[in-house]
Amino acid sequence: MDRRDFIRTAAGTGAVLAARPGAFVRDLYAFQETANLSHVEARYYIKLPDREIECQLCPRKCRLGDKERGYCGVRENDGGTYYTLVYGKACARNIDPVEKKPFFHVLPGTAALSIASAGCNVNCKFCQNWEISQVRAEQVTAYDFPPRDVAAAAEANRCPSIAYTYSEPTVFYEYMFDTAVEARRRNIRSLVVTGGLINPEPLEALTKVVDAIKIDLKAFTQAFYKDYVRGDLAPVLEAIKLVARQKIWLEIVYLVIPTLNDEPEEVRKMARWILKEVGPGVPLHFTRFTPMYLIKNLPPTPLSTLRSLRKIALDEGLQYVYTGNIPGDEGENTWCPTCRTLLIRRNGFAVEENAIKGGACPSCRNPVPGIWA
Amino acid sequence: MTESLVVIVRGRGVRSRGGEIAPAVLARIYERGLGLLTGQTGAEEALRTLFAPSDKVGIKINAIAGRELTSPPAVTLPFAGLFSRIGIADRNVVIWDRTNRELRAAGYALNADGPGPRILGTDTAGVGYDAEPFVHRNIASRISAVLTDRVTASVSFAILKDHGLAGVTAGMKNYFGAIHNPNKYHDDHCDPFVAELFDAPPVRTRHRLTVLDALVVQCHRGPAFHAAWAAPAESLIFGTDPVAVDAAGWRLVERLRKEKGLPTLAEEGRPPLYLQTAERLGLGRAAEADIRLLEDEV
Repeated sequence: MDRRDFIRTAAGTGAVLAARPGAFVRDLYAFQETANLSHVEARYYIKLPDREIECQLCPRKCRLGDKERGYCGVRENDGGTYYTLVYGKACARNIDPVEKKPFFHVLPGTAALSIASAGCNVNCKFCQNWEISQVRAEQVTAYDFPPRDVAAAAEANRCPSIAYTYSEPTVFYEYMFDTAVEARRRNIRSLVVTGGLINPEPLEALTKVVDAIKIDLKAFTQAFYKDYVRGDLAPVLEAIKLVARQKIWLEIVYLVIPTLNDEPEEVRKMARWILKEVGPGVPLHFTRFTPMYLIKNLPPTPLSTLRSLRKIALDEGLQYVYTGNIPGDEGENTWCPTCRTLLIRRNGFAVEENAIKGGACPSCRNPVPGIWA
Repeated sequence: MTESLVVIVRGRGVRSRGGEIAPAVLARIYERGLGLLTGQTGAEEALRTLFAPSDKVGIKINAIAGRELTSPPAVTLPFAGLFSRIGIADRNVVIWDRTNRELRAAGYALNADGPGPRILGTDTAGVGYDAEPFVHRNIASRISAVLTDRVTASVSFAILKDHGLAGVTAGMKNYFGAIHNPNKYHDDHCDPFVAELFDAPPVRTRHRLTVLDALVVQCHRGPAFHAAWAAPAESLIFGTDPVAVDAAGWRLVERLRKEKGLPTLAEEGRPPLYLQTAERLGLGRAAEADIRLLEDEV
């Protein structure tokens, strides 16, 4: 695929994602008849008697009879063998600023070739991409985009990284893993944008082939996870700790939803936990909620809330705390925690100024953690 | 409160070992079953009490398990044909499930606009799912436009099976095939999701009749076909109380399991909890004492 062809098809994908649901659904479903599904054996599952299986990929551990599909909607038991239906089948592919993921300490100002398949292993009521994450594999238009082609497309389009994003990459683990291997051969980095509900063994294996992981910590209470995510908090915290122990980069995002997870004391506890378990250098992003999917009755997060939560986390000792989805806000910028020099000035997804030299502050030479070149 | 009536009609020889259907026996099952259910003399009179000539009737089948364990055309087409006798044109009767692929695999010839009853999946071009999720209690799902756009009256024509998660799959769970995300409702033995989906107005207000296909009952390791636990019960089960008919189906599954020396579903830790939830929601009656079971044979 050449650059021109890629941009054309990527633009088409963007149009699909941006379309109004009313037009989007009926049109997409017309494609189901020729559903583009893979039939590649999944990794991380165990075979049980009578053609049953148990998936070991995520903490749900779906136990499925023959013909049944996992909670994710993209992995299916067929005759006692578990298959991924989305290997090499991207339903979204775009070139995005890496800041959109958001990664603020990874190659700032560069583009990330971003891909996703259908499916997700949770069901967040506030999902921003529910039209691809909360559907089964055959309910979206999927493009053939095998790992080698993804890596080649990133190279051809001068993207120094590939992001596995939009839906939940855990559910297309095999596709992501093999793409990351192909990418590394071409010196292209792999960035994972995940909710962190993945079991330790596959996660640890993944950290050997990718370069950075951003984990959405959706709240710091199990009650929120139960009611609004349909998942559990504890495995996410374990995933954060595991990634922090590896030699890869970690950032954490906290989407602030008015009245649901914006209690200052809850956020203070979370900041303390991050400081203790991960350290002061991990970037923490407080991002603004926009009414979406099943939560349309709440307003967008007030800017004052985001700023006050950012201040709490800074006061607790975290050094790189950001606000997100507020273009032009001071909280988008990176400051040296030692001498307060402005290191990176951002405006939305754009990097307007980057003063970091050799991974350090140009004034005090204090190292700034991240991937800078 | 009066009991809920459920009718089980057995037709000896209705299905051969090879799966061939005896049309004459099947026709007698329909006549007897629908007649007993409604207190009428036969199927035609019975259907008049349940449907109006102006209705557009959807017959929702469950084709997930392929040819070996799906109600075949030889069973559902004669049922669909009964509606012409009460003035509902063939074009206003649709046999449907979620995908054309599964319907074809189960032996159906698709018919989106030709003569005879329509046979189509939700994935037929121009059909699809509603654009926005329908939110009801714990349910948030796009509902098939077959149900919401093309049907005024729905029959859940469900194959009766053991189900590894829900305990049993019967008439109510059949509507999992009418939504885009059934995989999101497998937690906690599919409870309360089976009942709450049925309770959602697009389903509840259209549902008129349940017919459970118990010609062969997969009484263990469902929903897929496993020959060792497929019991030829040679029966169809009829009911207008969706909970009662599923409860009767469950008890038949338990009886067949016992005959094969299997533990009860409760002993396996997966009783069909959704039945109690459905009863609490006022959708029907689950307790054996509240169900009048009429068993007959043709």
